[in-house]
This record gives sequence, C-alpha cells and structure tokens, in this order.
Amino acid sequence: MVKRSIVLMLLLLSAVAPAAEAQNALVVSAWGGNWKDSLEKVVAKAFTAKTGIPVEFEVGGTIDRLAKARVAKGNPLVDVTFTTSHVGRLYISDGLIQPLDMSKIPNAKELAREAIRSEYHIGVWAYVYTVVYRPDLVKEDITKWSDLWKPSLKGKIAMPDFDPSHIITIAALMEGGNETTWEKGQKKLLELKPQIAAFFATDAQSQDLMKTGQAPVQVMLSVNAYHLIDQGIAVKLVQPTDFPGVIGIDTMTVMTGTKKAEAAYQFINMALAKDIQAELVKSLKASPTVIGTPVPANLQGQPGIFVSPAQWKEKAYIINDEVRAKNLPAWREWFTSNIVKK
Amino acid sequence: MMLKAIVAGLLAFMTLPTVVVIAVSVNPTAILSFPPSGFSLRWYENALTYPQFQRAAVNSLWVTVGSVALALPIGTAAALALERGRLRLPTLWATLLLSPLVVPGVAAGLGFLILAASLGMIRSRAVLIAAHVALVLPFVVRSVWVSVRNLDATLERAAASLGATPWRTFRRVTLPLLRPGLFAALLFAVVVSVNEFVVSLFISNRVTEILPVAMYSYVVNYTDPTIAAMSTLFITATFAVVWVADRFVGLGRVFLHHR
Amino acid sequence: MKLLLAPALTVIALFAVALGCLLQYSVLTFIPGSLQTGGFTLENFKNVLAPQYLGVIWDTVWLSAATTALTLMAAYPVAYALARTDSSRVRSAILVLTLAPFFTGAIVRTYAWILVLGNAVITWPIPMLFTERGVLVGLVHFSMPTMILMLAAGISHIDPVYERAAASLGARPARVFWRVTLPLSLPGIVSGSLIVFAWTLSAYPTPALLGGGKVQMIATVVKDRGLDSFNWPGAAAFALLALAMTIVLLAGVGRAGTRAA
Repeated sequence: MVKRSIVLMLLLLSAVAPAAEAQNALVVSAWGGNWKDSLEKVVAKAFTAKTGIPVEFEVGGTIDRLAKARVAKGNPLVDVTFTTSHVGRLYISDGLIQPLDMSKIPNAKELAREAIRSEYHIGVWAYVYTVVYRPDLVKEDITKWSDLWKPSLKGKIAMPDFDPSHIITIAALMEGGNETTWEKGQKKLLELKPQIAAFFATDAQSQDLMKTGQAPVQVMLSVNAYHLIDQGIAVKLVQPTDFPGVIGIDTMTVMTGTKKAEAAYQFINMALAKDIQAELVKSLKASPTVIGTPVPANLQGQPGIFVSPAQWKEKAYIINDEVRAKNLPAWREWFTSNIVKK
Repeated sequence: MMLKAIVAGLLAFMTLPTVVVIAVSVNPTAILSFPPSGFSLRWYENALTYPQFQRAAVNSLWVTVGSVALALPIGTAAALALERGRLRLPTLWATLLLSPLVVPGVAAGLGFLILAASLGMIRSRAVLIAAHVALVLPFVVRSVWVSVRNLDATLERAAASLGATPWRTFRRVTLPLLRPGLFAALLFAVVVSVNEFVVSLFISNRVTEILPVAMYSYVVNYTDPTIAAMSTLFITATFAVVWVADRFVGLGRVFLHHR
Repeated sequence: MKLLLAPALTVIALFAVALGCLLQYSVLTFIPGSLQTGGFTLENFKNVLAPQYLGVIWDTVWLSAATTALTLMAAYPVAYALARTDSSRVRSAILVLTLAPFFTGAIVRTYAWILVLGNAVITWPIPMLFTERGVLVGLVHFSMPTMILMLAAGISHIDPVYERAAASLGARPARVFWRVTLPLSLPGIVSGSLIVFAWTLSAYPTPALLGGGKVQMIATVVKDRGLDSFNWPGAAAFALLALAMTIVLLAGVGRAGTRAA
C-alpha cells in the first residue's frame, strides 16, 4: 500500500514537471508533408551532423503559422520560419521577424539578387503555380490558362481557397490588367465559377482530390505535382502558352526574440550552400536561389525548375510582393464571397 | 430469414471500413487502392519508426497510466460513498459525477486551454492528465457502482465481527468482491483515455501530444497509407482486448438486461 | 464515508472551472492577432447569430437529425437480433463487431471512411469525399454502435410474453412488430436517438476530415476560431451554444427514462 502511494506520487510529480523537450533543439516552422521531409532529409540532417544541434519541425499552412506567430509575439515558440515571399511582408509589418545579419550568412554572397526579398527575408527555393491535370481522366490536351474556361472542363477543376492570388492575377492579365488593377478580371473569374468542382485548404487535400479523380484539373504548385508523380500518379504540368505560370518564392526568416539566433543563422546558411541547394532541387524538384547551383539535365526546362533566378522574369510571372501582401485580405474576401460560396 | 440477411448486411457495413483499412495498409505504393496491388510492410515500418509517433506513443502511455491510476481510486471511493454514504441528494451527486459525459469535447477542450493559459501551464502535461481524469471518471464511477450495489454487506460485517479493522476488511473482502466492476472500470478508462482526441487536440502541443492527435496531424499533412498501418495496429489490439473482455466478463451482461 | 466523495468532487470542480473559463471568455472582446482580450461585451453572442453562422447551426441541426434518423433505421434490426437471439455465439459476435469499432477511436474510424469514400474501393458516380453526404455516411457509421447498444438494452427489457400473446391471438409477425415490439421499445428509441443527436451536434473529427473544410458544423467552427484564428471569445460563445443544446437534449433523455419506469 505504501509502495502504491509512492508510485502515485511519482506519477503526479512527473505530470507536474513541464513536458520534456530537447532543450537545445532548433525549432523550424515550415510546411508539412513532402516539404518537411525534404528539409529534414537534406538540410536538418547535415545541420545536426555539423553542429550537433537537433532540429524539430512545427508544421502547418502558411496563414495558420502566421496566426500562431502573432499570438506568441515576443516569446516565439519557433526559431526559424519558412514562409512565402509575400506573407513574409506580413511577418515584417507585425514585427515578428528580425532584420537578417548578412555577415552571419556567408553563403548568401552567391544568392541571386532577385532572391533577396527584403532585409528580413531571403529566398531559399522557387516554383510556379500552373495548371496540372491527369491525362488519363481528361481526354483533351490543356495548353493554356484560358483552357480552364472551356465548357468541356465544367465541374472538373479545383483550386486553393486560402490564396487566390494566382487565378486573380491571371484573370486580370487576360483582361489587360494586372495585380494592381485586378478588378478588371472579376467578370472572367465569375465565368470560371461553374468550372470549379472543389476548393482545397491543404496540400494533402489537393493531392487527395487528384488521386481520387474528383478534381482531375487543378491550379497547383509545381513541387506538389512532381510529388504526385513520384507517388505513381501520372499528372501533366502545363507550360501555358498564353500567360506564364505564376512564380512562388519561399523564404527563410529568423524570429524576433528567439534565444537560438546563432543556430538559426547557421541553419539558414546551410540551406544556401551550393551542395545543399543542389540536393533540395533534386528532392523537391524546385528552382534554386543560389547562382551556380547545378541543376540536373533531366529537370532543366521542366515547369517550375529554372536554372537560375534570372530566368524567373523571362519564363514566369512575378506578382509584385508588396501589392500582393496589401491586396491579399481584399482578394481573399472577394474570392470567398463570390467564388467559393455557393 | 430476411432479418438475418439484413442484420448480416448491416454488420458488413459496420465492418467494411475496417477491412479496407487493413487491406490498404499492405499496399506497396502510396496510392490508396483496394484490393491492394501487392503486399508490403513498408508502411508499418514507417509508422513504427516515425519519431513523432514514437514520442506520441510514450506520451499516451504516461497520460493514460497517470490518469487511470488517479481515476480508479477516486472513482471507487466515490462509488462507495454514493451507495453507502447515506447522502441526502444521491441523484444530484451522481449527476454531477457523470456530468463530463454530457459536455461537448470542443467545449471542454477550449475551456481547459483557456484555464491552462491563465495558469501559465500551456506546455505542461499536468493539465492533460487532469482533463483525462475528469473525462474517464464517469466511466469508472458507473462501472464500480454496479459492483458496489451488488455487494453483500453481510460478508463485510462478518469480517468485522471476526476482528478485522475497517481497512483490512476493505482490502481483503470488499476489493476482491469488487473485482468485476474494477476490471470493467479499468477497461473503459484505458480505452477512453487512449482514444481521447478532441479535448487533447486543444490542450496538447507538438511535444505533449498523444497518439490520436499525432495521427490526426499526419492525416492532414500526408496522403500515404502510414495511418492505415497505425490504424490496423490499433484495431488488432482493440479487437483482442474486447474479445478477451467478452470471454472473461461476458459483455452481454454489462449491456443487456437478463430476466 | 461522505469524505470519500471529496476527491471525485475536486476533479469535477476542476472541470467546472474549465467551463467557467469558457463562460468568462465568451463575454470578453476579441482583439485580433493576440490572446489578450478587451472588456465586457455581448458581441460574441451577436456574432453567433450572424447569418453565416446561423447557417452553420442550421446545417448542424439538420445533419444531426438526418444522422439520427438513418442510424435508428440501420441500428434497429441489429439491436433486435442482439437482444432476442438465443445463441450466445451470435450475441458475442454481434457485440464484438459492435463494440470493437467503438473502442478504436475517432481518427481510425474516420480515416477508414476517407479511404472508402475516396474511391479506394469503388469509384463513386457522384463525389462522396469532402461533401455533406460523405460526412453523413461517416456520422451514421460512427453512431451505430451507441444506438445498437441503447436499443438492445431497451428491447431486452420487453417481456417476450407480450409478443407471444399477440402472435397467439393471430397477429402476423409484421403486425406484432408494429403494434407490440416497436411501441414497447419506445423508451430505448427515444434515449438512443437523443444521445446520438446530442453527440452528433458536437462531432468534430468526422466532419473535419471527411468534409475537408467544406462541411461546417458547430464543433469545426469552435476549433477553427479557437485553435487557428485564436479568437477565444468567439469560439467560447459557440462552444457554450453547443453545451446548452446538448444539456437541453439530454435532459429530455432523463425525462423519457422516468416516463418509461
């Protein structure tokens, strides 16, 4: 009986003790699934081997992680955050990330100019948003953005409901406008509505919709499309002939108030090393941001895989970051009320 | 008879998803297909070596052991008090003790989260265990109470008249007689705690999360059959436990009325 | 003896405090982007009744009602077989098949439906995954064990003498069922239905995973606002709504139980 009460006491004590966590781990906030897997395999493993510091990942969607960061402001729960270039501006305006001390990132010397998005966030890889479809379920060829409006594709399309930037910009471009004069594309977007079968909120959902065939045509990230191909689902990425794919640049940032700034800088620096960049290119099938990174011949020229950032402007459409960040709330609201809602 | 066919069909409906999960878990590729295109244990390997699952399994162990170890004595004491305490408002106390069953998981989860935040204890396991104790307690109380009600007090009085102290009587006479109820209570408590999801989703984080929460995160982020493998392991363990319980306790007696 | 009740009451008190926090936050102002709150306000409850959220509440109610009705129809035959069978092997088989899914947990059971509805077994002619009908199927499957057990408990209370009497007076099996068995099993039907209805109102994993964010129920709104937007006051108001609806419904169970006695 005495023994039993001691056991109980111990259990109570262990319960009260704060949750055991590798106290010196570097916590990296990034997207889940294949994104986290690549970062873990390519960057974290090399980082831990070199510094002995373990790496933990906090995964979630872009906006979800921003919300969590806002709530933890000043006392961040993560040290390094990977986020998209334009959402990075939202982190900046909320004071959540610190200006980067470039002297601590020597590998950034070879970083392409286009990849330095601001003094707070620098690009680590790039991809495009384009049309992706299953040729086995969609009998016709899709070659341009405007094909999405073809009556034969009615009820077959899916697109993200959390960031409509790409389709809004493309619709605006079609009507002679751009991301600043985006209202010009509203009528075209309303015409697109009946074509849409579903909206997805996460990468995993988009993949499910493609796998099950419920939405065999999607506006999708090139990296996710390649991931589907790796898993055995034959999808085709389009190099649209009317307007280019919309570029996406993912960036790295250091949180304000982090207690592991040194380790954070080392991690970021590691991700920009040429050999690591080359591995990331192969693992994600994305474009590097460091000049001179070798890109395998079989990947060159594929949608979303550019040899260097200089190609971004030639072969893709870059939405102005500041305009995008400023307009995002208005875009989301208009899109949700007019296109997503029944 | 048509009834037999209908019942068989309905039982098949209830069992179909289980069969599909087990079949998909051995599929060699990441595409979820049925029947499986081959046989492979790679998803089981993935599930058992995934660090987040390993940590979550350890967390589940701590939380379940801790909460059940607390809930069993607390619940047994309460059951004894309810039956023999000559309380003035027995139904009121009983309702209070069973009340966590009524509260929606999201309400309890959010409430505990806010409570933890105001105590500055968001990252501790203590709140998680406390919540589990509260959620498991009604099952313990109900199961033990049934046994207490069927207890023949004369046996205890006999022991007392032979000179046994109240504590000795309790340990040597009462507790053994309560064994069926205690066993059922243990069974229910463990199963409820291990599978608790909604409340735990709110109050645990990446480091403290228990297995169901870790599995949920995986389903939201990945689309491969690893969860099918985890599910199959869960299902196998549960079937075994339930079958054993039926053999020993006769679950029919717990749920049905016998004339 | 009464002291033995104290530890249990302490636990319940802790639970009550947690619910009290809910009550407290539901009347505080939400400050976007932080966990700090402003002063007293009834804005959160007004928001709950805003048109878009009223729609969610209505969807939840009708989806729960549909689930309850379908579950009742599907569970009754199984419950009848369970209560009336003479073979202990059949009884064991039904119990194991009914209880085992009950004990495997919400994630496992919902994931299984992601597979089945996601064209893994057959290709559905109309989309099932990430739609309301998919969620309905998942909810019915989820509720069947509970309904079966409650119905079976109720049916097992009916003395077969009544049914035999009716049959001996010339009534055919169908008539015996409609006029004798069904009415006598009403208490079980009512309590089973109310419990399934109440639990479905606050269901979370099934609509979240099978609905893919498209099917909003009260519980998913609480989770979205509480864990994703960190609008704790707004989430608390919704959670209290769910709690109130559940208490009202389950009070009905108590009434139905006493009336049957």
